[in-house]
Amino acid sequence: MGLLHRLSPAALRILALLAVLAVVILFFSMQIEGYLNGRLFNRISSSVAIMALIATGQTLVILTRNIDLSVGSIVGFSAFATGSLISNNPDLNPLLLLLYSAAVGAGFGMINGALVAYARVPSIIVTLASMALFRSALVEYSNAKSITTETLPAWLTDFPNMPVLSIGTLEVRAGFAASLFVVILVHLCLTRLRPARALFAVGSNPEAADMAGIDAKRVVFAAFALSGLMAGLAGFMFLARFGNITVVAGLGFELKSVASSVVGGVNIFGGSGSVIGAFLGAILVDLLETSLVRWAVVSEFWREAVLGALILLAVTTDTLLSRRLTKLRAKKSKEAAK
Amino acid sequence: MKHLIMGAAAALMLTTANFAYAEAIKLEGGKATNMVLLPKFLGILVFDQANEGAQEAHKELANSGELQFVGPTPENSVAGQIEIMTTSGTQGVGAIMLSNNAGDQITPSAEAAQKAGAKVVTWDSPIPGGKGEDVFVAQVDFGSIGVVMADMAHSILGGKGKMAVLSASADASNQNAWIDAMKAALAADPKYADIELVDVVYGDDQAEVSYNRALALVDKYPDLGLIMSPTTVGIQASAKAMQDEGLCDKVKVSGLGLPSEMVSYTMNGCAPEFALWDFRDLGYLTYMTAYGLATGQLKGEIGETFTAGRMGDYSIEADPGREGAKRILMGPFTIYNKDNVEAAAK
Repeated sequence: MGLLHRLSPAALRILALLAVLAVVILFFSMQIEGYLNGRLFNRISSSVAIMALIATGQTLVILTRNIDLSVGSIVGFSAFATGSLISNNPDLNPLLLLLYSAAVGAGFGMINGALVAYARVPSIIVTLASMALFRSALVEYSNAKSITTETLPAWLTDFPNMPVLSIGTLEVRAGFAASLFVVILVHLCLTRLRPARALFAVGSNPEAADMAGIDAKRVVFAAFALSGLMAGLAGFMFLARFGNITVVAGLGFELKSVASSVVGGVNIFGGSGSVIGAFLGAILVDLLETSLVRWAVVSEFWREAVLGALILLAVTTDTLLSRRLTKLRAKKSKEAAK
Repeated sequence: MKHLIMGAAAALMLTTANFAYAEAIKLEGGKATNMVLLPKFLGILVFDQANEGAQEAHKELANSGELQFVGPTPENSVAGQIEIMTTSGTQGVGAIMLSNNAGDQITPSAEAAQKAGAKVVTWDSPIPGGKGEDVFVAQVDFGSIGVVMADMAHSILGGKGKMAVLSASADASNQNAWIDAMKAALAADPKYADIELVDVVYGDDQAEVSYNRALALVDKYPDLGLIMSPTTVGIQASAKAMQDEGLCDKVKVSGLGLPSEMVSYTMNGCAPEFALWDFRDLGYLTYMTAYGLATGQLKGEIGETFTAGRMGDYSIEADPGREGAKRILMGPFTIYNKDNVEAAAK
């Protein structure tokens, strides 16, 4: 009974992803001088803290065979609304502020959820429209003002960079730790809680889920509400990290979150995947992006194309590798059965 | 010999022609014409300031027509600008004032608007090819921006060191022109010989992209001394990134920024010096120009001089950066440092 046998396909998938991550790091450490150090960890972890939350929400939606393209706009709106609330009430309790950003996000998510689940409009159409609508709402709401770091309290802007644990130059910062905590919490819920398992059921076979007495509409609605909530929390983190919020905040995050989820092995057709995978996917995408900027071989204008190609390559390698591992496992268990 | 005399005569004629125009045209108020102020997109402070300036001029000239401030949403900037240009043209407005974000793609719709009788006055960012545009109101001389940035780099680096540029998007025509001007300035004067421009990267005018690019620059060039960012979003994000990572002692930030956004970074030494012009004045001067053209009081010819209200006299001249195009030069710059930034931030 080898190690392979004891691991589930999902765990194999994670292993394959980790292997791809290691290869990428190894490759760039040979290409770029002074690449592998504590600072690299600090950079990636601080920046991925925001995307990890969004990708987690996106994963919940993709699991139900849907997609949420409005997350970028929700992040922007939530960051701005949270910033303007704290600017006007500097003594507000931090917890209340956090709840406010979550509520703003969840509110937008519920609009999406209601339209997809109950009005039966395809999610790609609903969220394509709401992406533009929420962004326009932000333009209206902001009244061409921007939030600046000066108006924010120090506890908020200091929070993401506060070291929780440091080993040499390597720091685990509060922002990253908080976001990792949320990812693990969601992961535990998805694997242990019965209502959360309904997301998988609805995504992998809606008819069967219906027969089993699962209210698919409610599940889809909840997935969108949660995705909005996660984007709202990401908006809070965005505000804390960047301080300066204009109407373009979070532009393009929707595609990056879809890329993170898919790279992380979440099936775009629903039903399978994990938030840990999406988290690793977000790390991989961020790592590639950061490394490419530092890699002298690729010019500014080719970087996007190379990034796209590398994401494609990562997904392909990961799929082939995990398929190979699963096959190997099946063969081993057959042998063991003999 | 004959040629020489004729040349001299022609030169003389040109000078007298200039003299003939030297009398500044006084704009007559009270004429009705509808105007559209079209920024790159809505929701950015500097464009709102430009609108305030335009509204001020609108009231001052007692134009009973309408001044509309319309722009696209950020994610739809290029297509939105073209659409607004097209509809404004068909609605028969007197003038469209455009801060162009669509490159030469805007030209067909701008030319159509001109055919329909509208004057197209660009401000902040021109149409690169100059077609479809009556005149460009330049905030400052694009060449002088290059010199100012080179000088700030010289004083911050103490005359020697490495710098990198963090710009807006790769196809922003104003930023690209300024970066080229800075490169030219650096190459032209031997006093800049020890300043090395190592890289140009783009943060797309988004805080998160700019912030990450700034950090990547520091990682890529361990002995980098300065990040020069000719955009208000980029300079702020770079300064914050350097401050957050405790790098302000090693890497300074400079460029074009808003005092209200930069004040803390200037006071703590992360961004000791930066520059900008007044966007309210730019909006005011643009409106004056567009009104003059739309009401037929200005012809839009090179050498024409007019009085732009509180700002004084301005002339239409050939744009040295774009062949065949015309511009009105506003100027000057304000350089901000710890002596004057606090007052300007209020």
